[in-house]
Amino acid sequence: MRADFNLYVRRDTWLHRLDPRVKLAFVVEATALLFLWPSVRTAVGMIACCSIVLWLAQIPAPQIARAWRTMAPLMVMVFVLTALFAGGPSRVLFPIGPLKVTLGAVQQGALLATRLLALALIFFFWLFTTDQAAMVRGFLALRIPYDWGLTLALALRYLPIFAGLFQQVREAQQARGLDLEQRSFWQRLNAYRPVLIAMVISALRHSEHLGWALEARALGARGVRRSVFRPLHLRRGDVAVLILLLLTLTLKFGRRTGKLNAQRVGVGQGWQCPTPAQLYNVLFRTPRHVLLLTQDYAII
Amino acid sequence: MTADIIVHNLHYSYPPLTPDGDPAPVLKGVSLEVQQGEFVALLGRVGAGKTTLCMALNGLVPHSTGGIFRGEVTVLGLDTKQHPVADMARSVGMVFQDPESQLVQMRVEDEVAFGPENLGVPTAEIEKRVTWALKAVGLADYRDRSPLLLSGGEKQRVAIAAMLAMHSRVLVLDEPTANLDPVGKAAVFNVLSGLCREHRITVFMATQELERIARFADRVLVLHKGQIALDGPPAEVFQHVTELQAWGVGVPQLVELGHVLTQRTRRSYHFTSMSDAYKQLRRQARKVRMRKSQGPFPPPPNHSANPLAALSQIVVENLSYTYADGTTALQEVNLILPPGEFVAILGPNGSGKTTLAKHFDGLLKPTKGRVLVERRDTRTARVAELARLVGYVFQNPDHQIFAPTVREEIAFGPRMQELPASIAGQRVDDALARFGLTPYADLPPALLGFGQRRQIALAAVIATQPKVLILDEPTGGLDGRSRQELLDVVAGFNALGRTVILITHDMRLVAEYAHRAVVLLNGRILFDGSPRALFHQPEFLDQAGLALPPITRLADRLAPEGMAPGVLSSAEFAAAWQARLPVKHKRKKKARRAPGKESPDHAG
Repeated sequence: MRADFNLYVRRDTWLHRLDPRVKLAFVVEATALLFLWPSVRTAVGMIACCSIVLWLAQIPAPQIARAWRTMAPLMVMVFVLTALFAGGPSRVLFPIGPLKVTLGAVQQGALLATRLLALALIFFFWLFTTDQAAMVRGFLALRIPYDWGLTLALALRYLPIFAGLFQQVREAQQARGLDLEQRSFWQRLNAYRPVLIAMVISALRHSEHLGWALEARALGARGVRRSVFRPLHLRRGDVAVLILLLLTLTLKFGRRTGKLNAQRVGVGQGWQCPTPAQLYNVLFRTPRHVLLLTQDYAII
Repeated sequence: MTADIIVHNLHYSYPPLTPDGDPAPVLKGVSLEVQQGEFVALLGRVGAGKTTLCMALNGLVPHSTGGIFRGEVTVLGLDTKQHPVADMARSVGMVFQDPESQLVQMRVEDEVAFGPENLGVPTAEIEKRVTWALKAVGLADYRDRSPLLLSGGEKQRVAIAAMLAMHSRVLVLDEPTANLDPVGKAAVFNVLSGLCREHRITVFMATQELERIARFADRVLVLHKGQIALDGPPAEVFQHVTELQAWGVGVPQLVELGHVLTQRTRRSYHFTSMSDAYKQLRRQARKVRMRKSQGPFPPPPNHSANPLAALSQIVVENLSYTYADGTTALQEVNLILPPGEFVAILGPNGSGKTTLAKHFDGLLKPTKGRVLVERRDTRTARVAELARLVGYVFQNPDHQIFAPTVREEIAFGPRMQELPASIAGQRVDDALARFGLTPYADLPPALLGFGQRRQIALAAVIATQPKVLILDEPTGGLDGRSRQELLDVVAGFNALGRTVILITHDMRLVAEYAHRAVVLLNGRILFDGSPRALFHQPEFLDQAGLALPPITRLADRLAPEGMAPGVLSSAEFAAAWQARLPVKHKRKKKARRAPGKESPDHAG
């Protein structure tokens, strides 16, 4: 039997025991830092920081490698596309046909790519070390409606199951003579149609049964305030980490106060926190496709 | 005291399958009462409405399914029409067939606590209930495990615990053991029977496990044509052998044996349990002083006599397979299958049965060693090419069903083989007719019942006319008749000289159909030989968590009385028993005893 690949890695480290709210605070702060100080240095620093944290959490190396491998093609794509198309006024490194690869574009590409990886690692840290029930409790404690938390948790819980389902459906169709190998991209895309349809039917059946099972477990019983089996308590370690997080944040902002004379936010231009206008620039000057990809990945 | 479950004159029709179709009536006036602490088993053919009746008990029918509902269902005084499903959950616990879609948490204890949380039970009380419920299903040490990584039987026990923790006094289970291996099935039945006895929990279970029902249930209900046709203790209900067989429900093997013996010897045999059958037959054997016999068994089919056998169809050489995550599923497996064999692959879940079978059509490539199918090395052959030789029917029919109509579904394989339209059409029509699917040819397969979906999956593979047919657990959740029909088609296919490879836990199937049994354990071959030889070596069966069919066990127990051991079917048993009834002796006895005794005609 193939073992299920869960995102959550069961370990007994202080990072695993950390209050889910504190971990969520880390995720939010790290993400904010990445976007407020858009520099390759911040991103690389964050990657290093996350790697250390993942190592401390005793996440096995293959699992971390898999996270890198998943991100690699996306990073390359983002880097290449940005370098080719971002253009900008800075020095032209070399022209390719009508396109000009500029220094600024290359730097921006590097920034986007590293930031993508940093973001992914931040979220992977969260998913690897927080079990789903703790995650939902964390959301609940932050006054996020229970249904939302449960939906996210179920989505995470069923991701590997659906991946397994896809594999089984593909094998079942291949065993009937469906040829998924050695053909052109479009042919293969077309060949995957039966797989996708069978997959959707199975997934629908699955979710119908899941709905029944949840109802049978009294989800949504009338006139009941849900109770919690393992309530959250902030312990000393949690508070310490929170303080640490707060400190780094204030330090970062503190360094900025001296340099209010912020320049245009670009790439590799120091550690300034951008003004709202600049933030807008960063977010919307980024080529749309790249931004969409980033968002998609942040959600996954 | 009022009954825990009261169903009064329940009529129910599902909404129509197609927009212009008619509503499909399933239940047509079901009335029943179940008292507290009873263990009730619900029998019926696939599609008879067992699931519907189960779902009516907690209100999923009609609240979630729609359709037309008449009559009354009351559980612990709550009328399902007035109470939504989530409210009914306080009194009715529901366990479904597929554990995957009912376990929603990452830890066993969270799973069990989920229901009580939804009911707003205080934290300290939840803790107590989780401890109690896990202990009641024998999983007290599993609190911190991930439900995903448990075995099928353990998952179902977690699902049962999750219901108990809500203090459900009534447990409704819809085929909870259909996908489990024998060890898992036994564990679930033991837990349920313990709950009835020790905690006065009412158990209402739809199932096809005839043998276990006969042992565990207090009462059996048979659902036939939308009504409760038979109702009573197992011993009583199973006396209606003729009706049960005519309805396609089937009877336990020992009951069937009693029936066959009665027919053949014109003497009345009624067996309710193993010990009962043993005592009755032993008494008879001692009274009549029977001849010792080796039994009239046919000699095992001799495959080496077949000149084609030299050209082995499937050759497995030193096959090892390791999954990407490092799990070793097969180690140093060697196997040679000549054409025309009927091989059963046995072993507990996780022993590598499916992994091995997937090598035969190239879905998995060996990590070490090689597999040859008709002299093609599967490492280099394409799956699509091997699929023309090897048909694979997967355990879950839903993994392959995708077409808008049954006809197109079955035509998919022949189309992939690029056959001429006339030949392909002919094959599709044959397959439809053979499985009695012609009336459904233009309906969407995904909306048909489970039994039909399974038939469609098999028909779709048979239509490609492969040289080797692999079936992965084809009979889980099927009733006696459907099982019989399916196996008859497969046996007919085998009779044409084509190879059949059957992955199963059902020892009765192995005994009745297979020529050869291969037992896998932890990725290695533990045993390879004829089923009869396997049944002579109980140590292998024990190791692999397999049990002898009841009839074989009975014959073995009667061996000291001169019965030939290693009997494979009721017919064989009856023939062997009859062969040993001494003719002269019998005549003498006849004078003293009631008329209508065994006749010597069938002897030999």
